[in-house]
Amino acid sequence: MEAIANDESWKNWFQLYGPKLLLCARHWTRSLADAEDVVQEAFVRYWRHQRALGGDPQALLLTSVRRAAFDLARRDQRRVGREKLANGGLAETETIFEPLAEVDDRRVAIEAALRRLSAEQREVLLLKIWGELTFEEIARQLDIPLNTAASRYRYALASLRKELTHADCHG
Amino acid sequence: MDDELHQLENELKRLRPRAPSPELQAHLAAKLAPRRRAVWAWVALPAAAALALAFAPWFRSTQFAAPAVTLAQQAPVPAVATEEFQPVAAENLLYASQDDGVITLNNGAKARRVRNSYVDTITWLNPRTNASLRWSVPRDEVRVVPVYFQ
Repeated sequence: MEAIANDESWKNWFQLYGPKLLLCARHWTRSLADAEDVVQEAFVRYWRHQRALGGDPQALLLTSVRRAAFDLARRDQRRVGREKLANGGLAETETIFEPLAEVDDRRVAIEAALRRLSAEQREVLLLKIWGELTFEEIARQLDIPLNTAASRYRYALASLRKELTHADCHG
Repeated sequence: MDDELHQLENELKRLRPRAPSPELQAHLAAKLAPRRRAVWAWVALPAAAALALAFAPWFRSTQFAAPAVTLAQQAPVPAVATEEFQPVAAENLLYASQDDGVITLNNGAKARRVRNSYVDTITWLNPRTNASLRWSVPRDEVRVVPVYFQ
C-alpha cells in the first residue's frame, strides 16, 4: 500500500516539476535526449537521497539538474574546462512550450525570440520565470552577484520585448 | 520595471513548458519502482525473534553494570536552533571517471564497467543570520552497463 502511495507520489511530483526541470536542463545540454537523461538522473537522486532534506524542492532539484548537466558534459568530454556548459543551443525545430489553443503564433514568436537571447540572459530568465527561483537563489546557483542576476533578467525581458515588437511590426 | 515588461513577464509565466516524453516517465518508473524485499528477511526476522525469546530469561536474571549516570550529570544539549537552517543546495561533483572497459560477469554476459567518483555536498543556510553549514562526503559509483554484440 505504501509502495503504491510512494509510486503515485513521485508521479505527482514529476508532473509538477518535470516540465520546468526539462526546460532548464535543455538550456544546459546539447540535445533534448541529453536533457531528459540529466533530468532523470537528477530526479532519481533527489527522490532517493535529498527529498528528506526539506527546504524548497524546486531549488534543490534545479541545482541537482545543473550538476548532472555538468557531469554529463565532463563524461562526454563535450566541453573543456570547469563550469562550462552547453549554452542552450535550442534547435529551431524544437518546441519549447505547450501549444496555445488560440494564439499559437505568439508562442512561436516568443520561442524564436528566446532562441535569439544571449545564453546568459536566457539562463537567468528560465530560472526566474519557469524555475521560479528568487534572484538570490539564481545568484547562488550561477555563482554571480545578485545585481548581475537582476540586471541580466531585466535585459533579457527588454530584449524579448524588442524582438517581439519587431516581429509584430514585420509580421 | 515598466508596465510593459511586467505584462510580458506575466505572459511568459502563462506559457507551460513542454511535458517530458513518456519514455522518460517509463525510465523513471523503472528506476523508482519499489525494491523487492530480500527473501532472507523473511527467514532472518523470525529467527532473530525466536533467539530473543529464548535468551529473555537469561537477560532478565543478569545484572548489567550500567554506569550510574543521573540526569544532572549528563552534558546539557546545546540549544542550537537547527530548525532555522534550510537546505539551499545539494551538489554532486564528479571529479574522476575511469572506464574499466568490457568485463565478463558471473553469468558469462559482457558488460562495460565505469567507476565515477563524486563529492556530495549539501549546504544549509540560516536566512536570519546568514550563517551557513556545508557537509561534504565522497562517494564512489560503479556502473555496469550490459553490452550486446551484433
